[in-house]
Amino acid sequence: MITVHTQFHSHFREVAATARDSFELDEPLVSELAQRITDKYGAKMKALLIDPDTNELNERGTMFVDTKGRRISIEDTLNDGETITFLVGIAGG
Amino acid sequence: MESRLLRVNLTTGELKSEAIPHQLFERWIGGSGINNWLMWEHFLTHDINCDPRGPDNIFVFGVGPLAGTGAGSGIKGRITFKSPCYGIFGDSAGGGKFPYMVRFSGYEYIAITGRAPKPVYLHICNEEAMLLDASHLWGKDTAETHALLQKEHGTWPSKTHTLTISQAGENQVGIAGVVSDALRIHARCGGGAVMGSKNLKAIAVQGNGGLPVARPKDMLSWSDDFRKKLDSNEAVYGFKRRGTLGAVEMYQHIGSHFWRNNQGNMFRGDEIRSDNWVKKYQKYSEVCSSDCFIACDSKYKIDGTESETAKKYIGETFRRPEYLTTGSAAGALDLRDWSEVAHWGKITNDYGIDNQDLSCSISFLMELKQRDLISDRDVAELFGHEQELRWGNMEDVEACVESVVFQKNTFGQLFRDGPYFGALKYSEIKGQNFMKYAMYGKGGASFTEEMRPFPTWMNNMAVASRGADHLKGIGLIEKFQRKDLSKKYFNGRTEAADLSTPLLKGACTALVENQVALLNSYGVCLFHWMLDPGGYTPQDYYGKAFAAITGIDRTPEELMRDGERICNLEKAINSRIGLRREHDTVCERWMWEPTEEGMYPGKVAADMFNTVLDEYYEWRGWEKDSGLQTRAKLTELGLDDVAEVLAQDRALA
Repeated sequence: MITVHTQFHSHFREVAATARDSFELDEPLVSELAQRITDKYGAKMKALLIDPDTNELNERGTMFVDTKGRRISIEDTLNDGETITFLVGIAGG
Repeated sequence: MESRLLRVNLTTGELKSEAIPHQLFERWIGGSGINNWLMWEHFLTHDINCDPRGPDNIFVFGVGPLAGTGAGSGIKGRITFKSPCYGIFGDSAGGGKFPYMVRFSGYEYIAITGRAPKPVYLHICNEEAMLLDASHLWGKDTAETHALLQKEHGTWPSKTHTLTISQAGENQVGIAGVVSDALRIHARCGGGAVMGSKNLKAIAVQGNGGLPVARPKDMLSWSDDFRKKLDSNEAVYGFKRRGTLGAVEMYQHIGSHFWRNNQGNMFRGDEIRSDNWVKKYQKYSEVCSSDCFIACDSKYKIDGTESETAKKYIGETFRRPEYLTTGSAAGALDLRDWSEVAHWGKITNDYGIDNQDLSCSISFLMELKQRDLISDRDVAELFGHEQELRWGNMEDVEACVESVVFQKNTFGQLFRDGPYFGALKYSEIKGQNFMKYAMYGKGGASFTEEMRPFPTWMNNMAVASRGADHLKGIGLIEKFQRKDLSKKYFNGRTEAADLSTPLLKGACTALVENQVALLNSYGVCLFHWMLDPGGYTPQDYYGKAFAAITGIDRTPEELMRDGERICNLEKAINSRIGLRREHDTVCERWMWEPTEEGMYPGKVAADMFNTVLDEYYEWRGWEKDSGLQTRAKLTELGLDDVAEVLAQDRALA
């Protein structure tokens, strides 16, 4: 079992109604983290986090990065104590 | 495809309506593609090395075939001209209702040449166009001018929609933009100075005409699918709420802001976050045009409860700042209260001036003062009186803004064309080299984002046809690390999404430049595409809407070739002006001075710059040493006529 911390920004923060959370995961997998987050925060979070066409992480207008700034994907593994940051992926204006 | 062009010769007062041949859409798609062609044609009979502020320059307004049809993909109008600040190809986009109202008035394109003997404005109502006296509008800002024109022309057969300049444009300030309906600025490249130099204060349009759609059922079916795709993505709702302000947190997290003239890359203080804006300032959402399924715009009205600083702006109402307004205010100038950021957005819009070049001109001078490279006396000489230059001080910032807009003093005059030319002239005057502190890329154009860790973005700053800019080839694959898209476009390779390697960064610039050229020629908003509803494919998904509306069937490969052709014409215009590889460059700080903070410290452009640029030329099929186009590439794109002109001008490899 590992502990993974999450930081939510922008729309993620609004949907989760919190800036930070932590999750205890049985398996060190992004897929499990995504499942736990959507279980906890409901349908809106699921619609934000998961692409309904592929059942993978939603790449459209979002950005999920590890502590080194690398984008994570659904098949990645996680380390104990790691922080994953959930951001809106938009530029321009 | 039926479409009309209005030609306006301001010197003679002649107005001429022409049908645009269908073949032009086959070759140039529409929108910016046709604007570019009208500019190219104009400079076959006029000196391309003319003074951009002189009567020989051309000013084109155009709007693409998807705009206003109900496709739902947003609308962008485009202005195209030779840039008075950078001296190269210039163009700029703006949304809102004005672009499709031009179509409803009976035209898609307006090409303006010459110079009126006295201030005029152009009024078009259901195909009837006339030049009217603008002496009562001269000296007014964009909001006042818009209000007066709306009052004068009323609401029949439609409300009056406008494109106006302010005092900055009248004073031919090189970084002056053009504002649509007093709300949305075509900021880049100095279109306002071109209008001002032509004594053209405004364009006002009214109309209730319809728009041609070749296959209405196909268009409605596409539109329905497009809406469903957008609605299925919760991130689109996030974008509706915050617009591009949602980027503030991401940029803060990865270190992509431009703080104090890019001495840093993170905002200071806790206030400038999109959450705080939404909670304290956002009063209601608004759709920028009726042809948009997202509606990301919103309004604020300050009531003084938001913060202590906000009390200074009680009653002020305007649009929510977009990211670059925020990046220039909270970043370049270090303004730390949302009310000041909003006020900066409003005054730069009302004065019709580009907040990128303007903020970088001010932050350049503030940095010189911070480093004691100039004295209080030097500053007093520039402003004609004692003037403080404090980071984060709105009064000091406003003094600088008014200096430039009204050309009040030496500072305003030196920096009328932005930080590069201002710094160059000031270095000469003082006998010192201050260029290390001037932030710019190609053409001397500036941009308030951290570029050093992002090789595709940096390459865009060096090669964008209209001068340093992120929109021409926006590097989303890289910044958002979209390995899926890298694989899709580069035969399974992932390097375009990997910040640690120069590989595929030049290729990615070329790819996205072609895609963006296509979107700009359709006349749609880039944000719908960025939210990726159709799999990030303007050549495929959007191509179906283009076919339904115009009746022009194209394969995705053909459309990509069309985008490439459009980019090559912009390049050819710059090559005729004399631009070569050495002009594809960026400023000293970006090139040599390492980032000290953010997620990617220790980065400089020089690490990858030449490798990326070489690769860009390779993917473009251009000659690497000179940066010039080859006859083979132009022939492949069906541009033999362009190659001939370049050969005559010795601007072909």
